[in-house]
Amino acid sequence: MNKTSAILEIVEETAGRPVVFTTGYSCRIAQDIADRPGHFYMTGSMGLAASVGTGIAMATRRPTVVVDGDGSLLMNPAGLITAGAMPDLGLVHVVLDDGSYASTGGQAAPSARTDLAAWARASGYAQVLRADDPDALGAVLREALADCSSPVFVHCVLTDQDTAVPPRIRGDLGDHQRRFSDELQATMGIPA
Amino acid sequence: MITRPPTATSFTSREEPVMTPALCLDDAAATLATSLTEMGFSPTFGTPCGILAPLYERLENGSALQTVSREDNAVGIAAGAAMAGRSPVVMMQNSGLGQSVNALASLVVPYEIPMLLIVSLRGIQPDTTQENLAMGRLTEPLLSDLGIPAERLDAERLTTQLEWAREIVCVQRKTAALLVPPTLFGWQA
Repeated sequence: MNKTSAILEIVEETAGRPVVFTTGYSCRIAQDIADRPGHFYMTGSMGLAASVGTGIAMATRRPTVVVDGDGSLLMNPAGLITAGAMPDLGLVHVVLDDGSYASTGGQAAPSARTDLAAWARASGYAQVLRADDPDALGAVLREALADCSSPVFVHCVLTDQDTAVPPRIRGDLGDHQRRFSDELQATMGIPA
Repeated sequence: MITRPPTATSFTSREEPVMTPALCLDDAAATLATSLTEMGFSPTFGTPCGILAPLYERLENGSALQTVSREDNAVGIAAGAAMAGRSPVVMMQNSGLGQSVNALASLVVPYEIPMLLIVSLRGIQPDTTQENLAMGRLTEPLLSDLGIPAERLDAERLTTQLEWAREIVCVQRKTAALLVPPTLFGWQA
């Protein structure tokens, strides 16, 4: 599984749901696969995808999916602590772990001796799951989203390289945010 | 010492308090806590700060505040809540504003996400602690350069200043900052 095949599977399983994609290649790949109004492409603020997802899940009380990376999680693991502290938070926190910083040149992440899943478990996540191929990831997401009433961590181990990476996020970021916000509020069925 | 002017509080229906310094200081925190809630600001996230403690405790006791271990994470969570249509507040010490610069510069500002920042001013008189002086000098220029309008809270103008913040955050859907000098709630070196 590479980043593209993992995100393809995630996009397939998350139609109609809010999904936050972390900085780097994840948001670029997602926009290229399907540019949905329920997608939030976080192009900067590396490390904060889980925090943004936590705020969305808290405020909407709807299952919210975060597509994080290992480098992002290593940069700011404090997001795990906040999410793990909320037993009623409907958050599915997927970490695509390729052991490297792909968008800056593929430098190795300093995590060879770090157990990311153990971090999530120790922070209070209700479930910590693992997926090693797209079928397993699809199954894990379907299960997690079917009854999403507490934080779930999905450790997704990537072993294959992506062949090509799509271009940077297009358009004005303020407009992108408002499109996402409108979609969130429309699907919540409650005006602001 | 802060004196409590007649216009500085909305607690007119309460028994007229004796004008001791402790009550005056307490009233500034009470006015802020009550007004923030009444004006529709919520949810509130924060990382504790000694200067903010009187306000922090009032909000915490009213279950209106969630503590987050790092200030930039609080900004991230508030961003999510704001996009869901809420008008969130993030309370932090200005040291935490330093921690949050990238969250503001690369998320809140370019994505035009509304929230109210309540930032204490360590390193401003009478706080002469050396480790806080640089951030004390940087806080207002930093916010100004980020394009985030900021007001230094003044006990005599609290209601006006809160209304200013409400207009920017809740109506215009932009980010604003209210800065809390050490003396506002009676912080002592």
